[in-house]
Amino acid sequence: MAAPDVVEIDLQLVEALAKEETAALDAKHRRSLEYREVAKSHLPGGVSSSWQSWPPHPIYVSHGKGSRVWDIDGNEYVDYHNGYGVMVMGHAHPKVVEAVQKRVELGTHFAQPTEDALVCAQNLAERFGLPYWRFGNSGTEATLDACRIMRAVTGRKKLLKVEGTYHGHHDSLMVSVFPSKEEAGPREHPASLPQTLGMPDGILEQVICVPFNDAEAVRRAFEDHPGQIAGMIVEPAMSNCGLVLPDPGYLQALKDACHANGALLAFDEVKTGCTLAWGGAVEAFGVVPDVVCLAKAIGAGLPCGAIGGTEEAMGMIVRGELEQVGTFNGNPLTMAAMKVNLTEVLTMDAYAEFDRVNGLLERCNEVIEKHRLPASMKLLGAKGSIDWHPEPIHEYRDLWDIDDRIPQLAWLWQLNRGVFKSPGSKWESWTSSIVHTDEDVRRYVDNFEGLAAAITA
Amino acid sequence: MAVRETIEFDLALVDHLIEEEEAKLAPKHRESIAYKQVARRTIAGGVASSWQDSPPHAIYIDHGERNRLWDVDGNEYLDYHLGYGAMVVGHAHPKVVEAVERQVRRGTHFAQPTKDLDAVGESLVDRFQLPLWRFMNSGTEATLEATRLMRANTGRDVILKVEGSYHGHHDSLMFSVVPDPQKIGPRDHPVTLPQAMGIPQAFADLVRVVPFNDLHEVKRALAEHEGQVAGMIVEPAMMNCGVILPEPGYLQGLKDLLHAAGAYLAFDEVKTGATIAYGGAVEAFGVVPDIVCLAKAIGGGLPCGAMGATEDLFRLVVDGDYDMAGTFNGNPLTMAASRATLTEILTKDAYERFDHVHGALAEGCTAVSEKYRLPAYVTGMGAKGSVIYSATPVKEYRDTVGIDERITYLAWLFQQNRGVFKSPWSKQETWTTSVWHTDEDVQRYVANFEEFAAAVTK
Repeated sequence: MAAPDVVEIDLQLVEALAKEETAALDAKHRRSLEYREVAKSHLPGGVSSSWQSWPPHPIYVSHGKGSRVWDIDGNEYVDYHNGYGVMVMGHAHPKVVEAVQKRVELGTHFAQPTEDALVCAQNLAERFGLPYWRFGNSGTEATLDACRIMRAVTGRKKLLKVEGTYHGHHDSLMVSVFPSKEEAGPREHPASLPQTLGMPDGILEQVICVPFNDAEAVRRAFEDHPGQIAGMIVEPAMSNCGLVLPDPGYLQALKDACHANGALLAFDEVKTGCTLAWGGAVEAFGVVPDVVCLAKAIGAGLPCGAIGGTEEAMGMIVRGELEQVGTFNGNPLTMAAMKVNLTEVLTMDAYAEFDRVNGLLERCNEVIEKHRLPASMKLLGAKGSIDWHPEPIHEYRDLWDIDDRIPQLAWLWQLNRGVFKSPGSKWESWTSSIVHTDEDVRRYVDNFEGLAAAITA
Repeated sequence: MAVRETIEFDLALVDHLIEEEEAKLAPKHRESIAYKQVARRTIAGGVASSWQDSPPHAIYIDHGERNRLWDVDGNEYLDYHLGYGAMVVGHAHPKVVEAVERQVRRGTHFAQPTKDLDAVGESLVDRFQLPLWRFMNSGTEATLEATRLMRANTGRDVILKVEGSYHGHHDSLMFSVVPDPQKIGPRDHPVTLPQAMGIPQAFADLVRVVPFNDLHEVKRALAEHEGQVAGMIVEPAMMNCGVILPEPGYLQGLKDLLHAAGAYLAFDEVKTGATIAYGGAVEAFGVVPDIVCLAKAIGGGLPCGAMGATEDLFRLVVDGDYDMAGTFNGNPLTMAASRATLTEILTKDAYERFDHVHGALAEGCTAVSEKYRLPAYVTGMGAKGSVIYSATPVKEYRDTVGIDERITYLAWLFQQNRGVFKSPWSKQETWTTSVWHTDEDVQRYVANFEEFAAAVTK
C-alpha cells in the first residue's frame, strides 16, 4: 500500500488535549481514585495485576451486563476492552449465568475428571482441527505446557518466538515482549531480551527471536541452530501490536520450515481463538499447527486455559510419559461455563454478529480518509485495531515509529465519552462482543470522528 | 514417640489383598471405566490433568455436597480427598453458592480491579502477617512469581529447594519432586533431577536441592554458592510425602541463614495455607517469611492463587519497575468465592473444628496402628493429616524411599471400597478434612483403617 497523503499530527496539540482529557477523567473517577488509596494498603499499586493499572489511574469496575460495564463511580461504558479480549459473549450472558448457577450447587472442584470436560474437548477438536486436548487455568499455563511438549517430543531445548509478542508470564517465554529500539539488536538477529527483572541469562539463551511475517528469518534460524530447535510458538495474528495479520502463506511456510527441520509449530491462540473466527486462526488462515494454546474467550469469563495437539504432539501425555498437570485443570465450574459458551453461545451463527459490527466499524476508515489521518485500520472477527501508522503494522519494529501520546489521547477520548477500551498500547485495539448493538458501534465511530476532528483542527 | 515392637508387612499378602480389592472396585466403576474409553479419544489420557488418573482406573465425578461426593456410577463417598486439599469448605457450601450466584449475574471478568480484592487482601494480611498481596489463578502461577520476585530483588539466579517437594509445574521449580532414588546422588549434594521431560538443563543449573529439616545442608549450599542464591522456596510442612512437620527451629533457622546471605525465604503454603491453621504455617510455626504462596483452599473451589510479600520485596512492583500480571488475576468470580471462604467460612472457629477432627482421627488411627503393631504413625495438623508407614519418624524425602507403595495403595483401595474417597499417589496415607466432617465420619475412616490393619496382619 502506497503511503497516502496524510496530515502530520501536531503533538503539542495532542499534549494539550490529553491534559484536558486527563483532567476530565480524574473528575469522573473520584471514587476510583479514593478506593485506590485504600486498595494500595494491601495490593501493590492497588490492583491485582500490573496491567490493570494505566495512567492516569486504575478504574475500579462495579459490574457488567451485555455490552456495558459500570465503574464504581457509576459511569456507564460500552465495553470494547472486554477484559483484555475475553468477554466476546458479553457480560453476564444469561446462558453462562444459568450454567454457573447450576454447577455451583453441584460442587465446583474435585480434582477428578467430570463429564463436561469431554464436551468442551470435542468442541475444541472440531473448531481447531486437533484431536487431543487438555485443560489449564490461564494462557500462561497453556503456553508453558506447549513449550514443555515441544521440548519433550523433540528432545531439543531451543524455542523460536516472534519479537514483540506476549505468550504469558512464565520464564521460558518472557523474552522480547516489548524490546526497546536501543537494545533490540539487528533485525536479522534480534537480541533475546528479558521482559522483566528476575530472568536468568541461562533461560534467555534458550530462546531465539525472529521478526513476524518473515518466513525466511525462520529458515535462517534453523540453519544457524541445526538440530537444536524444539519448535516455534507464534501468535498467528499478532495481537499485542494492534492486530497484525499474517501475510498470505506465512503460517504455512512456518509449518513447512518447522517440519522440514524436525521441529513443531505451536499457535498461541489465547487471543485469537474463538475471537477471529469460530475456529480461530486455524480456520481464518487455513493452517493447522501441531499445538494450539487457548484461554481468554473460551471460558466465558472464568479463569481457563486449554491446549490441543496432534497425535504426535500429545502422544507422550496420552501414554503417560509426560505428565501435564494442575490441581484446578478441568475445574467443573470452568468446564460448565465453557461448555455452554462453546456449544450454545459462541456458535457458528454468532460469528455473523461480528460481520455486522465490523460493517459499521468500517466507517472509521472513512474518518481516516476524510481527515487524512496517518492511521490504518484492521478488522477480523471480534478483533480490530487502528494503528497510528499510515501503513498497517507488519511486524513489531514498525511500532517504534509511533508516538505513544496519540494512542493515549485516543484512549482517554473514548473513555471520557462512554467507551471502555484496553489501555497500555501504542495502538488502538478493541474486542467486540456478539451483543454489541449498532448504537454501541456508532458511539465508537462517532467518538473516533470527534477525535480526528480535534487533532486535525 | 515411644519405641514399640512392630510387625513387618507380608508383601505377598498385600499383593493378594490388592488383587481382591481391585476386583471389588472395578464392578463399582463400570460407568467410569466405560467413560474413559470415550473421553480418551479427545482428552489426552481421558483426564484434564495427569494426576486425575491413578491405578486402577480414573474415577469420574458427578457432584458433591458438603463432605460427600458421588461418582458417575452413583457411588457415594465421604470425601477426604477434597480435590487435592482445596475443598476444606466442603462441596457447594451455601455461602460460596450464594456468593457465586450473586457475582455471576454482575459479570465475572473485566481485567480491571474490583472491590472484593481488598476484603480478600485484608483477610490474608491478618492471617499471614505479610502486608501486600497479588492474585493469580493457580499455585503454579504463585510460585512462579515468587521465584521471579526473589531473583529480581537480588539480581541473583540460584534458587534453593527441598528434595521431594512439589511447587507447581513451571520450568523453574519442576525438579526433584519425586526423584528416582537410583539417581538422587549423595545427600549433601543431591542431583537436581527434572521431574518431567522437556525442561532444559539451563533451568536445572539454577536450582540447588537440599534435604528437608537440615539447616546444616542449607548452610553448606549457601557457602558453595556464595553471592549467587536469590532465595529458597520451601513447603513449611512437606505435604508431598505424607505430612512432614518441620523440626523446632528449622524454619526460623532458614530465615536467619538466608537473610545473613542476602537472600529471601518463600513459604509455599499452597497446601498448608488456610488448612493447617487460620494463618497457615506462619501461625502454626510462628515464622513469617518474606513471601507466602497460596492457592487451593483459599478459593472455595474456584481456580485461584495468591502471593504475599514484604513491602521491601514488592517495591519493584509498586514502583512499576516489575510487572506482575495476568489477564484473570483477581477474577471477580474467584474473588467473590474467596471472600466468602475467608471471611465467612474459614473463620477462627473452623480451625477449632479441624483440630478436633484431626485429634479424633489421629487418636483412632494411632490406636489401630498400635493394636495391630503396624510400622506406622500418624502426623499432621488442622485439616491435614497422614498415616506414615514407617516405624521411625520420617523427617525428609529420603526417609520415605524404603516405604513400599503397595501398602499405601492397598490402604487407599480399602477406603475406596468402603465409601471413603482419598487422594491417590502418595507413598503415605494422607487426608484433608472439611468444616463439615463429623465424629461419625471419623469413625468410618478409622473403622475402614482397622479392617485394613486386620487384613494385612492376618
